[in-house]
Amino acid sequence: MINLSTGAFYERGTRQIGVLRSHAETLQNQIGTGDRLERSSDDPVAAARLRTLARTERLSAVDNRNSDMAQADLSLTDQSLSSISELIIRVRELAVQASSVTVKDDQRAAIGVEIEGLRSNLLLLVNSRNISGHALFGGQASGAAYTDAPPSAVYQGTPAPGAIEIGDGQTVVPAMTGPELFEFQTAAGPTDLFTVLSDLATVLKSGDPAGASISRDSLELLDGGLEKITTAQTVVGARLNWIDLMSDRRAESGERVAAERSEVGGADIAVSISRLQETLTVLEASQASFVRLSNLSLFSLLR
Amino acid sequence: MASDLLSIAASGARAARGALDVTAQNIANASSEGYVRRSLRISEVAASGGAGRIGDISLSGARIVEIKRNADSFAQAEVRRTQGDLSRANTELGGLRNIESAIEQSGLYSSVVEFEAALQHLAGDTVDSSRRAQVLAEATTMANKFNIASTSLDAAAAGLQFNAKAAGDDVTLVAGELARTNLRLSRAGAGSSDRAALLDQRDQLLERLSGHAAIATSFGPDGAVAVTIGSNPPRPLVAGGTANNFSVMVIADGTLTFDVDGMPTEMPAGAMGGAQAALVELVGVRGRLNSLADSLGSTVNGVQANGAALDGSPGQPIFAGTTAADFRVVMQDGRGIATAPAGAPANSRDSQNLVSLRLALTTFAPAGQLNNLLFDVSSKVAGRALTQDALETIASSARVTLEQQSGVDLDSEAANLIRFQQAFQASGRAMQAASDIFDTLLGIGR
Repeated sequence: MINLSTGAFYERGTRQIGVLRSHAETLQNQIGTGDRLERSSDDPVAAARLRTLARTERLSAVDNRNSDMAQADLSLTDQSLSSISELIIRVRELAVQASSVTVKDDQRAAIGVEIEGLRSNLLLLVNSRNISGHALFGGQASGAAYTDAPPSAVYQGTPAPGAIEIGDGQTVVPAMTGPELFEFQTAAGPTDLFTVLSDLATVLKSGDPAGASISRDSLELLDGGLEKITTAQTVVGARLNWIDLMSDRRAESGERVAAERSEVGGADIAVSISRLQETLTVLEASQASFVRLSNLSLFSLLR
Repeated sequence: MASDLLSIAASGARAARGALDVTAQNIANASSEGYVRRSLRISEVAASGGAGRIGDISLSGARIVEIKRNADSFAQAEVRRTQGDLSRANTELGGLRNIESAIEQSGLYSSVVEFEAALQHLAGDTVDSSRRAQVLAEATTMANKFNIASTSLDAAAAGLQFNAKAAGDDVTLVAGELARTNLRLSRAGAGSSDRAALLDQRDQLLERLSGHAAIATSFGPDGAVAVTIGSNPPRPLVAGGTANNFSVMVIADGTLTFDVDGMPTEMPAGAMGGAQAALVELVGVRGRLNSLADSLGSTVNGVQANGAALDGSPGQPIFAGTTAADFRVVMQDGRGIATAPAGAPANSRDSQNLVSLRLALTTFAPAGQLNNLLFDVSSKVAGRALTQDALETIASSARVTLEQQSGVDLDSEAANLIRFQQAFQASGRAMQAASDIFDTLLGIGR
């Protein structure tokens, strides 16, 4: 005969109800937090993947900030280059005026003074700062990019600006250096924009009759300088495009990471809720049947 | 005349009373822990006739021969064995969970990522003092997290050691109790209720012992038990009326040693076995954490030494300490971070040394190593949780089997109550009949 022990009956009953309750609580926790994993050991592989994804997201946020900074620097560079090219165009206009034989020498001297002023403006422009307060055209220099040493200006910066990481192992150089912009080759050897402006201003101011022809000759030099600036602007534009492209790419990969994160670690609310409902139904049923069964004692029939 | 109706009926009433007592005792102890259902063996008392008196009726009623204890020693041994495995798994799992929490919930992983992120942020502008300060702040946080993880591991180890020592003390205590029970068992009469109660006590003590340690038992004819503890080799703990002294010691690396009266043994099961397994795991994890902190510090400091600080001076160490417990930041000012190569002038924006540092960290991959460590620990926890689930099912089915076989069923006790009550009443009627017969005999001749 099988002996249906009363103690065993109660032990089984409480164990079953306890298991159902803890299952319901786990589901409730998943719905409450939206996360499938409470601790790593719930699913070690998924948890390790989630940690890697969280790291990717965190480092990508830094990439975003660095990329924004590079973009701001390059925009500043672009604006400065536009101002510089306007300045060169103005000098070229003045040089064209001065080259005319109908212009008197004292007018030419006035033009020389204006060109000299424009040269000092140019010096201010090349010493403009980026958003962190460093020289925009000075590479990795900590102070000003150029110091004035008439007729020329002396470059104080480093030969190359540092590149900035913008994610996926890609980098961008957020600035141009002075020599890349202002030094160029002529038929007579290398020169720079400062020297060209300085020479022109000196000759015109002196009222030298050769001013007209020198002005004409300088037009070619100014064209060379302008070409250098516009080329640089194209390069800057290309870099800005590259940053935009990488920003899009980072945004896309950020979305992918977020999607994978919710796929790996997120609780499926619909599934969790229906499972919870199912568990609660079973729990109620087993509680009810437990009470009914525990009332089935022979003692309650003994009168 | 060999038989006496009145005394036969009286013995029947006595036997029924005894049976009712046992039934009431069963009902009263229906939920007592370790109580094994008793039943009575009642047998007839009759004499065979002597020479020349073959035809005599010589009946003397019934008597209680034995109070039977319905325990299946196989089921009990199964409960002890599965209980020992289960408590080992429970303790080991608890210890491993604490190790997991120590490393995961200290937030060490995210602080390492933050340190990497701060360095990456610094690469955007190496002379920015706020970015430098941020790197140093994140380094301090990371060092603190290493300390916290180490302290939590210490706490987990201390908890396991304390529990194992308490269990060891309890083993000695229980062994003494068992020896006393053995002595009393040898004096108790066979089939007595006293003996049944002593056997209950013996089995309860053995179950408590198997929860603490790996034991093997052998039973004598009088129910006295001899216990050996541990394995490789097992050592005698209780033999007859003597018990040996069991002790647990913590050795230098934090793991445990077990000995019985100075003779060493190993502990493959029970809570102490689980504590030992968890402590061995903990020693391994602590070793990995220490070497991670050590190499991280020396990697960063090594690159620092090749560079120049913001003021152009040679780079000084950022970290100190060779273990997770004493890992700390010794640099006071963010300007000391050597981002520029050695020999660079003050305020240099050259980030060559920072690039080297980040490259060295990419190669060393502290976050990856920590991720692996966490993965190893958590997958061990997940694996042990599965084992523990299975062992719990096995242990609970062994217990249910034992309970079904040895536990009290109130329905059958209710039936017994009615049955023995009726038997008592019937014996009473038999006495009434004897009295009527006597009255009839007295009435003759009136």
